[in-house]
Amino acid sequence: MVMTTPPDRIGTPEGTPAPLLDVRGLRYVYPGASVDALAGLSLAVGAGEFVAVVGANGSGKSTLARLLGGLEKPAGAEVATVCDHDLLTHEGRMNARRDVGVLFQNPENQLVAECVEDDVAFGLENLAWAPAEMLARVDEMLARFGLTELRRREPHLLSGGQKQRTALAGVLAVPRRILVLDEPTAMLDPAGREEVLAAARELRAEGLAVVYVTQEMDEVVGADRVLALEAGVVVYEGSVDGLFGDGDLVRRLGLGLPAAGELALELAARGRTVTPLPLTADDLLAALGGAS
Amino acid sequence: MSDHLGHVVERGAQASPLHTAGMALECRDLGFSYTEARTQIPALRDVAFSLEAGGSLALLGASGSGKSTLLQVVKGLDAPETGAVLLDGAGGGEAGYSGLQRQVGLVFQTPELQLFAASAREDVAFGPRRLGWTEAEVAAAVDEALELVGLPPERFGERHPYALSGGEQRRLALAGVLAMRPRLLLLDEPFVSLDPATRRELSAILVRLRASGVTLVLATHDVDLAWALCDELLLLDAGRVRAAGGWEFGEEGAGLLGAERLREPFLVQLWRRLGRDPRQAPRTYAEAAEALA
Repeated sequence: MVMTTPPDRIGTPEGTPAPLLDVRGLRYVYPGASVDALAGLSLAVGAGEFVAVVGANGSGKSTLARLLGGLEKPAGAEVATVCDHDLLTHEGRMNARRDVGVLFQNPENQLVAECVEDDVAFGLENLAWAPAEMLARVDEMLARFGLTELRRREPHLLSGGQKQRTALAGVLAVPRRILVLDEPTAMLDPAGREEVLAAARELRAEGLAVVYVTQEMDEVVGADRVLALEAGVVVYEGSVDGLFGDGDLVRRLGLGLPAAGELALELAARGRTVTPLPLTADDLLAALGGAS
Repeated sequence: MSDHLGHVVERGAQASPLHTAGMALECRDLGFSYTEARTQIPALRDVAFSLEAGGSLALLGASGSGKSTLLQVVKGLDAPETGAVLLDGAGGGEAGYSGLQRQVGLVFQTPELQLFAASAREDVAFGPRRLGWTEAEVAAAVDEALELVGLPPERFGERHPYALSGGEQRRLALAGVLAMRPRLLLLDEPFVSLDPATRRELSAILVRLRASGVTLVLATHDVDLAWALCDELLLLDAGRVRAAGGWEFGEEGAGLLGAERLREPFLVQLWRRLGRDPRQAPRTYAEAAEALA
């Protein structure tokens, strides 16, 4: 399913509550740039939904993440609402920053305090949480992300993965309704990737709307929907199978397939077609067993 | 491109400052620690391994296991507290050692953050100029490096680094290191944040470098790319070597990687689950498909 004009409300059938996140025709231009970073992007995400966002370097994914978090002022939009806050107004963006947690790809830019636990507590302090509640919440977050033993460590002495886990713990210490993750696992070891992905899925189960930007095709598998961006617009919105099944589009967008799919393509090139296209090792093994 | 690389080798043999033959690396009982609030935090402990000239080594380990520190010590940016780094058999203090150190290239994690010049060509020329090469040698090295990373100088040479895409910036930063003709190339998580198409391009560049004889050390969490690109591995755990040498994928190997917050490469897992010998697992999807088709 390739679209030149994105639909307004995929994933929010009639009769369901309004989406937590609803943007239509979202535009953004970097100062001095001649090309729009976002050129009329539309996206709706409901509570408890996990939407993956993919696209080549420079397609607008990180810009989208910043705008959804209320961190930049859109150049324009027909609708730009997150949790009933209007991103087109200053007040709306300030409120959005409380309800929308954003985790960026480089944790270096997100750590501000002198030690891990202070960093995790930073957002709560700004919201003036009572000390006892704040300590309990910080302990919970440190334990959840395996940081308890590092709680007094200075952030600059952490490894990349430890920094990212600290940043995520800090983002999630403040109760959120929407979580936007911008390549959150890029710097993590495989176990750390699993932890972050599992945490994102847990948060979906807890009712958060999750927008998950990634370059890891294996992480897209399991998303409720996937959006592919190109030059600041949505060029595909639909099922994971639908995206990876469209080989021409995958190539044009500079994407790839999950490992099982890549191998299936090589097999097809040698006359052994495996259908439907496997996206996991389990799928591939089942198909190989059935086909041989 | 392989023809082009052959050209580099040939010219390197003629001009004395230019090298392409790989460098042998040996680390003897390296120790290094960071100091925090007057407490020593050990980052490397008794790290010992060797890699032949032209070899390719995957440096694996969890976040915080010491991979980046080891690369910095090998490059000479940090002096080891104990032990020694031997380059082509020579140790620190021996005649010619600093010259050998200059033939070690280190590509940092997210190296594009260090681009600074007003044009791609000037950025890549910075390193070779500091090596004292003539302007003609610098110009030739810059053109070759830009070509090698897929940024042809006639198209990209005058572009401002910040006007390039993220993937182009990463390749430009790599060109800045390759222009100095490293004989030992150290790469710290070179694939982080790249889109899949750019990863494929970068991995093809590394395959060509390996084929040209450059010794490669690749620190990464990406076990699949490590499996595809590197013949040997060094597994670090809290600064200590847990495994060194060939990829061992008996039952112990799987457990070893899992214990280090890693996993076996996809193709190794697949071979195991297909009831085939995981030690014979193919390195690429194409090889796997050949075996399965």
